[in-house]
Amino acid sequence: MKTLSLRNLGKTYFDPYAGAHVTAVHDVSLDVEPGEFISVVGPSGCGKTTILNMIAGFIPYSKGDILLDGKPVHGPGPERGVVFQSFALFPWKTVLDNVGFGPKMRGVPKAERDRIAREYLALAGLSHAAHRYPNELSGGMQQRVGVVRALANNPDVLLMDEPFASVDAQTRMTLQEELTRIWQERKPTVIFITHDVPEAVFLANRVVVLSKGRVLDEIAVDLPRPRVWDDLVKDDRFKQLSARVLQMVRAA
Amino acid sequence: MQVTGSLKGRSSRLIRSVNSLAGAAMFVAPLLALVAIWAIVVPLFNVNPRVFPPVAAVGAAALDSIRDGTLFAHVGASLLRVGLGTLIGIAAAVPLGIAMGVSPTVAAFLTPLFRFFSVLAGIAWIPIATLWFGYGFGAIVFVIFNAVFFVVAYNTLLGVRTIPHTLRNAAASLGAGRWALLTEVLLPGALPNIVTGIRTGLGFAWRGLIAAEMIATNVGLGYMLFVARDFYRTEVIVFGMIVIGVLWLLIDRLLLVPLERATIERWGMVRRA
Repeated sequence: MKTLSLRNLGKTYFDPYAGAHVTAVHDVSLDVEPGEFISVVGPSGCGKTTILNMIAGFIPYSKGDILLDGKPVHGPGPERGVVFQSFALFPWKTVLDNVGFGPKMRGVPKAERDRIAREYLALAGLSHAAHRYPNELSGGMQQRVGVVRALANNPDVLLMDEPFASVDAQTRMTLQEELTRIWQERKPTVIFITHDVPEAVFLANRVVVLSKGRVLDEIAVDLPRPRVWDDLVKDDRFKQLSARVLQMVRAA
Repeated sequence: MQVTGSLKGRSSRLIRSVNSLAGAAMFVAPLLALVAIWAIVVPLFNVNPRVFPPVAAVGAAALDSIRDGTLFAHVGASLLRVGLGTLIGIAAAVPLGIAMGVSPTVAAFLTPLFRFFSVLAGIAWIPIATLWFGYGFGAIVFVIFNAVFFVVAYNTLLGVRTIPHTLRNAAASLGAGRWALLTEVLLPGALPNIVTGIRTGLGFAWRGLIAAEMIATNVGLGYMLFVARDFYRTEVIVFGMIVIGVLWLLIDRLLLVPLERATIERWGMVRRA
């Protein structure tokens, strides 16, 4: 497990529609400890998705550094797993082969990667869907596959870009509970991007609030685990924390 | 769950095969009606067989050509040319189409050339092809290649462009290198469009084949038609035309349509071409 550090990270790009240079991320510094679950919240345009795309290596950064265990990262790589808002499952592969894709890229033989994939599918309660194709699954099930596909590759950091934004509210709560359970079992390092404040607080050890490309504040979330919605909706500490974060986001 | 699932699968398969039988009947009925009209009209007006043959004469011509093996020689030669030209066309077009799909520079440079040559694709190449390859096999395969190549390359390009960029990002973040990106994402992602391109291209190729065989060879279905004309053998010409049409329908319905369905429906992809 490795520490992820962002040092004075910035992103400026040329917007052809505006005909001008736009700074999406001004100056962001952040250290993420191994096994930590961080939520990044902020209003639209605060640069949260840009930061995630830079960490994932999908877009280059303009200034500063992204360091994984002290070494700079450039371009995408399997040590940084990504869960996409649009799921991004391979429609021509079965669920089993989607989850086994990362191990396949590492050269793991077929029998072994099927075993790994089945283990992770079981973790998400998806064993019965192993031989289905993604288009045969509901949105919630597709994103479960998306999460375990990234986990099955054993990344140092799991990057999640508003992963539950496109599923219905009930399914979203179930997925959030499942994610905290899986996180407790496996303790992956997670950076979770969202604009949903209760979601951010529910999941994280620490909530980072972004505003206009800068870190506005960080709030530690010391709520006990396992976390389930039925308990937390009645929990005063949860309400206080959510209210504080919400205030900051609205002021941002 | 499992049992009802498979039962449901079986009954829907049954419904589908009943539907496809009904569909086949609907398809054949007008053709049979046409034959019936032909069987009535030709004797009724005592049509000169040099103008149009009676049904029985075409049947006899069919039997003759089957018995003496000439039909199989012609069909075999035509299918071999189409098959080979198509394979070479696909083999050349898919890599180029993918290169165009991946690189905007390559696409921008080649697109005007593609526009120009896709107009020319097919029989306009016959004269120069016969100069390059001589009369016969090589020239005709070249014409087929031409008909397939441009359509397949263009559809491959479209196919690559329709792959959502997040899928490439997903593959890269799971550790896929350039080669894996090609074999695991770009090729399968473009496959439905490639198959559609092959289907369209083969349609062009089949027409081009008949035209080329009339000019540039001494065996094949096109040649069979053309030579029969010299002897006023209308029954052979009509029989040849029927063979050409039926063969194409068989290739299309039994090979290309199922292939297209297998890729597009299975993966829940929407065809955008």
